[in-house]
Amino acid sequence: MGSKQKERVHAILYWGLPVLAVILIVVAWVLFSAQHPELMPDPVSVWKRLIKTFVKPIGNTNLFGHAWASLSRVLLALLIAWAFGIFFGILIGWNRTARAIFGSIFEVIRPIPPIAWIPIMIMWFGIGELPKILLVFIGTFVPLVINTSAGISMVDKINISVGKVFGGSNMQILKDIVIPTALPSIFAGIRTSVSSGWTTVLAAEMLAAQRGLGSLVTKGWQGSDMALVLVAVITIAIIGSLLSFLLNKLEKVVCPWNSNK
Amino acid sequence: MAEFEDNRPLKVEVKGLTKRFGDLLVLDDLNFNIRKGEFVCVVGPTGCGKTTFLNCLTRIHMPSEGDLYIDGVPADPRKHNISFVFQEPSSLPWMTVEDNIAYGLKIKKLPQAEIDRRVNRILDLMGLQEVRKVYPGELSVSAEQRVIIGRSFAMEPDLLLMDEPYGQMDVKVRFYLEDEVIRLWRELGSTVVFITHNIEEAVYVAERVIILSNKPAHIKEELKIDLPHPRNIADPKFIEYRNYITDKIKWW
Repeated sequence: MGSKQKERVHAILYWGLPVLAVILIVVAWVLFSAQHPELMPDPVSVWKRLIKTFVKPIGNTNLFGHAWASLSRVLLALLIAWAFGIFFGILIGWNRTARAIFGSIFEVIRPIPPIAWIPIMIMWFGIGELPKILLVFIGTFVPLVINTSAGISMVDKINISVGKVFGGSNMQILKDIVIPTALPSIFAGIRTSVSSGWTTVLAAEMLAAQRGLGSLVTKGWQGSDMALVLVAVITIAIIGSLLSFLLNKLEKVVCPWNSNK
Repeated sequence: MAEFEDNRPLKVEVKGLTKRFGDLLVLDDLNFNIRKGEFVCVVGPTGCGKTTFLNCLTRIHMPSEGDLYIDGVPADPRKHNISFVFQEPSSLPWMTVEDNIAYGLKIKKLPQAEIDRRVNRILDLMGLQEVRKVYPGELSVSAEQRVIIGRSFAMEPDLLLMDEPYGQMDVKVRFYLEDEVIRLWRELGSTVVFITHNIEEAVYVAERVIILSNKPAHIKEELKIDLPHPRNIADPKFIEYRNYITDKIKWW
C-alpha cells in the first residue's frame, strides 16, 4: 500500500471511529431502555421531554434559560478567577518572596475539592448567587495559580539571558520573555479552570438553586422524572464539549507557535 | 611571534579578570585589550572557561575579581550596545522570524521605520525573506541559528560577542556564515569577540587570536593573524598558523 493510500485510510479511520463510537452508545441506549424502561427512558421520550421544557417551563424559564443561568454564573466567576489567578500565578512564579508567603497556602488549598466548600458557603452566604459564584471562583482560581506559577518558573534560562543581553529591564523581560513562555501553561490552567468551573457550578446548583442545569437534574431526580435528568445531563455534556472546542480554537490564536507542533 | 602595532583606539579593557564558582577557579587573572573594530578570536581547550569569560563580558555572571571596561566604563548591557550570539539555539519560540530579529531593536526603542529597514536588510542578507512569518520551531537548526546571528547583526552593535555560534552547523553553512560575519564586520565596523574551539575557524576569521590555557584559564599567548581576507585554508601560511595554535593548546 502506498503512503498516500495509507494516509487516506487513516484519515477515513480517524473520522469514522468517533462517529462509530457515538452510534454504538446510542444503540446501547436504545437496547437498554427497551429492556428496562423504568431505569432508563428511551431517546424518543427524552426528546419529547426536551420539547416539553419549552412548552411548560420549569422555574419560569425554558431549557435555554437554565443553560444560560449556569453559563452566566461560570463565566462571571471565570473572568474574576482568570484575572486574579493569572496575576497571582505570575507573582508567585516570578517573585521569590511572594512564593514564600503564598506558595504553601496554595499547596494546602489545592487538594480540597471545590464542592467540599459548599456547606461553608451556604452557612456564610446563604443560597443566593454569591455563594455559587464564589464556589466556582474557588474551584477555578487554584488551578490557574498553580499552572501559571509553574509555567513562569519553568522559563528557559537562555531566553532570560537573551533579554538581559539586549538590555531589557526586569519588566520587559517579564512581559516579552517570561509570560509568553508561560502562555501554553497558563492556557492549560484556563482549560482546567473551565472544566472544573463547569462541574462545580452544576454541583452547587444541584444542592440549592431555582434555575440552572444542575437544578433541573435535582428536580428530575426528586420527581422521578428520569427523562428530565437526561435532558439536563445531555445539555451539560454538549455545553461542556462546546466550551472545550472553543478553547482549542482560542489556544491556536493565543499560542500559534505551540499548536503547530 | 612578535608584538604588533595597532593604532585603533581601545574598546575593551580586561583587567585582572578572575571568576570563581565556589572553590572552583575558572578564570585566573586575565589581562588584555581589544581595539575598536577589531575581530578577535578566543580559542582554548574544551571546558577551559571560554563561555564563562563571555558571560562576564555581558554581565550574565559578575566577575569575582577584576573587571571589564568598554570605552573606559565598566561593561553594562544597558549602557553599551552589546550583542550576543549564544552557543545554544536561543531564538524566542513565540516570535516569528522577523519579530525575533526585531526583538533587540524594539527593546532599544528604535523608530519603527529604522527597525523595518534593518530587519529587511538582515532577512535579505541571511536569505530568510521567505520564512519571515514562520516560527523558529518550524525551521532547521542551521536556519534557526541564522535567525539568531541575524538578530545580533541587526543591532549594529558596538561589541558583538559570539559563543561558538557555528558549532551546530554543517561545514558548508559554516564557511558561508564565516564569510558573512567577515563581510558584516567590515561593513558595520563592529568590534567582534568570537569564541571557538575550532582552530581552523579562528585562523579563517580572526585578526588576532587569544589562546587560553586549560582551566583555570589564563592567557597563553596573543597571536596576530597577518593574512588578507578572504583567506585560503590551503595556503601554507594559513596552515602554519593553524599548526602553531594547535601546538599551543595541546593538553595531551
